[in-house]
Amino acid sequence: MTTKAPPRQQEHAEGSFSTEYMRINVGPQHPSTHGVLRLVVDLDGEQIISLKPQIGYLHTGFEKTFEHRTYQQGVTYSNRMDYLHGFGHDLAYVLAVEKLMDSRVPIRAQRVRVILNELNRIASHLIFFGTGLLDMGALTPFFYTQREREKILDIFEMVSGVRMNYGYFRVGGLYQDTPEGFEEAVQAWYDDFWPHLEQYRTLWVGNDIVLARTQGVAVVSPEMAIDYALTGPSLRASGVNLDFRKAQPYSSYEDYSFDVPVYQEGDLWARMMIRFDEMVEAARIVKQALDLLEPGPVKDPDRRISLPPRHELENSMEAVIFHFKLVTEGFHPPKGEVYVPTESARGELGYYIVSDGGSMPYRVKVHAPSLANLQSLEPSSIGGLFADMVINIASFDPVLGDVDK
Amino acid sequence: MTAAADAAVPTPELAVLRGGPLERALARLSELGGRTSEFKGMLSMTLDRGVLVEALTAAKEAGLVMLTDVATVDYLTYPGHRGKRFVVIYNIHDLTGRERLFVRVELDEGETCPTATGVWRGADFLEREAYDMMGIVFEGHPNLRKLLTPEDLEGHPHRKDFPIGESPTLFNDGRFLDPATFRAGLMGKDAGLTGWKGGARDGVRSVQGTLPEEGGES
Repeated sequence: MTTKAPPRQQEHAEGSFSTEYMRINVGPQHPSTHGVLRLVVDLDGEQIISLKPQIGYLHTGFEKTFEHRTYQQGVTYSNRMDYLHGFGHDLAYVLAVEKLMDSRVPIRAQRVRVILNELNRIASHLIFFGTGLLDMGALTPFFYTQREREKILDIFEMVSGVRMNYGYFRVGGLYQDTPEGFEEAVQAWYDDFWPHLEQYRTLWVGNDIVLARTQGVAVVSPEMAIDYALTGPSLRASGVNLDFRKAQPYSSYEDYSFDVPVYQEGDLWARMMIRFDEMVEAARIVKQALDLLEPGPVKDPDRRISLPPRHELENSMEAVIFHFKLVTEGFHPPKGEVYVPTESARGELGYYIVSDGGSMPYRVKVHAPSLANLQSLEPSSIGGLFADMVINIASFDPVLGDVDK
Repeated sequence: MTAAADAAVPTPELAVLRGGPLERALARLSELGGRTSEFKGMLSMTLDRGVLVEALTAAKEAGLVMLTDVATVDYLTYPGHRGKRFVVIYNIHDLTGRERLFVRVELDEGETCPTATGVWRGADFLEREAYDMMGIVFEGHPNLRKLLTPEDLEGHPHRKDFPIGESPTLFNDGRFLDPATFRAGLMGKDAGLTGWKGGARDGVRSVQGTLPEEGGES
């Protein structure tokens, strides 16, 4: 432990009563820390006087691993960072490489990406509600939200074959076209989702206990949010209207009409409610993208990037050569450095990729939103109660894979 | 369908609005000796490390109020690179998110970078990460400690000269797993870890010391 210890004794003004500060170690193995997050908390009674996050327990070295894999292999690693919003990381990575390569992604691939990304955002927010309310002592919502999340994961499994760590996006498009029945499955999910949203609304949105625990607690002012580099829904809950889907639309987000929910309060309630509203908006985007979805190619026709179609390999020598070069070596983007900001379920997510002209990235620096967001935990918790701090961790929705990379 | 159907690159070009925050910041930073460069719509400004804090303060006053990230690059093995070895990139943007500037500071080995924690307190973790991973020392940082790697790890993993896969692994009963021996053990050329065939792959069994009886093994 290297943080400075607080003064040991505090004399009370009257009588012989004296109190001592208490240092508590929260985590790293604790259900309410949402992963391997360790907090060193100093308490005066039940009041928090200092809080220091200690992280790094899940550090995996993905950024270094990127440097030793080809660009196309990078999607294996990107989604493993934020395992609750894997498509968001995949999208941010492939967008950065596509910017480097000047790739033209077909419109069908862009729309499928949006559908999957928004479905994943909803799945991530459902986990937020389930675990966040669990920290508040409400056990039942976790089962409800898991029930809806399962249906979304079924769609992901249908598309990519796995329920986590998808790796379905490719530089220049998708791994393959969506299977038969994909559109029907998304439509069925959409029809099924609205009644559940109403159920959630009656269950906890106006719930007296939830309101009493969250309103006016752990307030983050807009100035503080900007000072502490807060991003995403937590930033918008503090009254700063910044959403990169609107600010710099990517992957056909400019085609859909949706609102960016903004709350002015900046308290726990606002950080909860903004994610509820985002689920509604995300479902609207899914529906619009589904309606606009038309049959078509899902890969960039550029032979420098995409593998040639299977049937061409049998009668085209050139296709075999391209296939061989792409599989063994990969493509070579020009020298340069790119960054594409995207909006993940947690905030601004972007990959800073440095290319030296080789077939592997020279350097990949991930701006993962959870790391920057975690800094706001300390100033918003100080002066509050210990029990509120536990909900406060959940309200910033950190994913420790995203924090530690 | 719409214009998006024919859009080549998903991200639109970053336009410098007349009188906008980015234009004001560029004017202020040029006075401080900044050199601009542009790649695919991304504007970078390279500054001397002596004026970094002044420049970031000026950029913040001009309207680029939000700090996204502190990225670092080690150009040790970059082909054709002639400048200094390291670069620290402050990734800042304005409130609308449409205008973004990359403020670059080039550093040689042993040179320190002034801290931006006085401008944004949120630079705390980001600079600690840069220190931990790349070994950039931020002068004046209030709490410059390791962030992600274990405390007993020596070196900075994202440097290009950091050896990969060659650091011995320590097990809790005091044994070391030497990578070269481990690889030889996997190839069947050597007994592997501590003389037991299979080495670390045996897991619990090897720790408990139940040795398989095989001839020729030491």
